This record gives sequence, C-alpha cells and structure tokens, in this order.
Amino acid sequence: MSDPQNEAALKRNGLTISKREDVAVTHVALRRGMQAELEKRASAALGVSLPATARVAEASGKLVVWAGPEQWLIIEPRSTGKDPSVDLAEALKGAASIIDVSDSRVIFRVEGQKATEVLAPSMAIDFHDQVFKRGDVAITHASHLGVMVWRLPDGSGYEFACARTYAVAFSEWLADACGKLTRPA
Amino acid sequence: MRIRCPHCGERALDEFTYLGDASVTRPDPTSPDAAGEFYAYAYERRNIAGPTQELWYHQAGCHSWLVVTRDTRTHEISDVKLAEDVASKRIKSTAGAA
Repeated sequence: MSDPQNEAALKRNGLTISKREDVAVTHVALRRGMQAELEKRASAALGVSLPATARVAEASGKLVVWAGPEQWLIIEPRSTGKDPSVDLAEALKGAASIIDVSDSRVIFRVEGQKATEVLAPSMAIDFHDQVFKRGDVAITHASHLGVMVWRLPDGSGYEFACARTYAVAFSEWLADACGKLTRPA
Repeated sequence: MRIRCPHCGERALDEFTYLGDASVTRPDPTSPDAAGEFYAYAYERRNIAGPTQELWYHQAGCHSWLVVTRDTRTHEISDVKLAEDVASKRIKSTAGAA
C-alpha cells in the first residue's frame, strides 16, 4: 500500500476497504447521576435510544455506537461547514460531555461477502455470526493497535474506528489482513 | 486464560492488566495506628493456594476495573464483577455497620 491516506478504495480478496472521510464523529459521555435525563434528551435529539450494551443503533443517517460504559460515538455524514457536535452539545447540555472527535478518530469500512472469513483469523475476538451479530460492537485491539469494530447492521461488512495517529499503521494492517490467502472456492 | 468482562464478554488475557489483591481495603489515614495499618496494607499479603480476589483492568477494551475471583491452583475463574459495584457495596456495608 503506497499511500493509504490517498488511496480511495482498495480491493483485496473481493473485499473493498475504504476510509470514511465523509463523516463527522462526536463523542458523548454521560455526566454522573444524569442517566435518566440523558436517555430522554438523547432519544429526542437523535431519534433513537443510546445503546446500553455493546451495540450500534441506527437513526436517519446517523450511527450511534456504544464506546464503553456510559460513552458513545455518533457518526453522521459531514454537512457543509456545520459541526454536528454543536447542536448535540446544546441538546444534551448538563447531561453529557460532548466532544467533536472527527479529527481524532478515523473510520474504516470493509465490505464484501468474505469479510468475516478473512478478518476472523486476524483478530482475537469471535467473529462467528451467532456470537458477533449484526450491529454488535467490540472494543479490542488489532495487532496491538486499539480499535473499535462493529458489524454493519445491514450485514454488508464491518467498520473500524481507530485513533488518527495510528491510521496509517492500522490501514496497512487492514489491507494486509484482508489480503490473506483464503480457501479456494 | 480468558476473562469474561461484564461489558465486553469473554476476551483473551492480552487485553487485561493485573493490578493485585482486591480483598484488601485502604486503611483510614486518620486512625491512631495508621502507620501500622498501612504497613500491613502494603506489605503483609497472603500467598493463597485457592480462590483469590484480584483486580484486573480491561486496558485494551472498555477500560473497566474488574474484581476477578480466580483459583490460583487451577486458574479457574469463578466470578467477574465490576470493581465499582464491589466498591459501592463495600461502602454501603461499612456505612451500615457504623
């Protein structure tokens, strides 16, 4: 992989690996004692409940990703100029701490029929579709790089969130993992 | 050895960091024998052959502190709780006793 920053989409083993620069990422963290208030206001602001367990929730173009106990990432298409964390900070004021992490996290997507088969041997979590179901999230590591991974709710593949500092290393790992030899069809 | 994190499910040992004995509680620094109690808290540890309570940190996962009940002879893990639940229960029980 010559320059992963500038490579639009890579193909490996029939999988498409892409980096999603079209999205804004906002981190939401519950303030102590404000759980009921946050649940109520977040549902109104996002149109969906914040997942209490390691799941993603979909709401009109937005993806709400469980990011550890009492924390979430909101991933949504980047609109022209406007920072979505500003509206969210207003809506959830006092109940949660809101940070725009678009510059600190990078989202990668792997799509394709063989995504599970190819990724499963590369990471230490159980990728079996009865264990890691559509919409499930795992916070783990990939070859010592801290990542979050979730199975896309439509079953088309996976998304990964990693720190931007490690984006080059991670994308090279991802391309390598997706390029591993698979069993002949 | 694998640990079943209450938030994340079963994960491999390389995601966790070991801290130490979870059965001891920090002494009250204002007690008359604070020096003696802190000496015992820091140094006088038992080397148990059997079930122990240990603190583990899910460093590469959800960043939760866990209290793991592990048998040192077999490595069998019989219980994993969130450390914050264990601590708040302990605070409640001491408050109730006082």
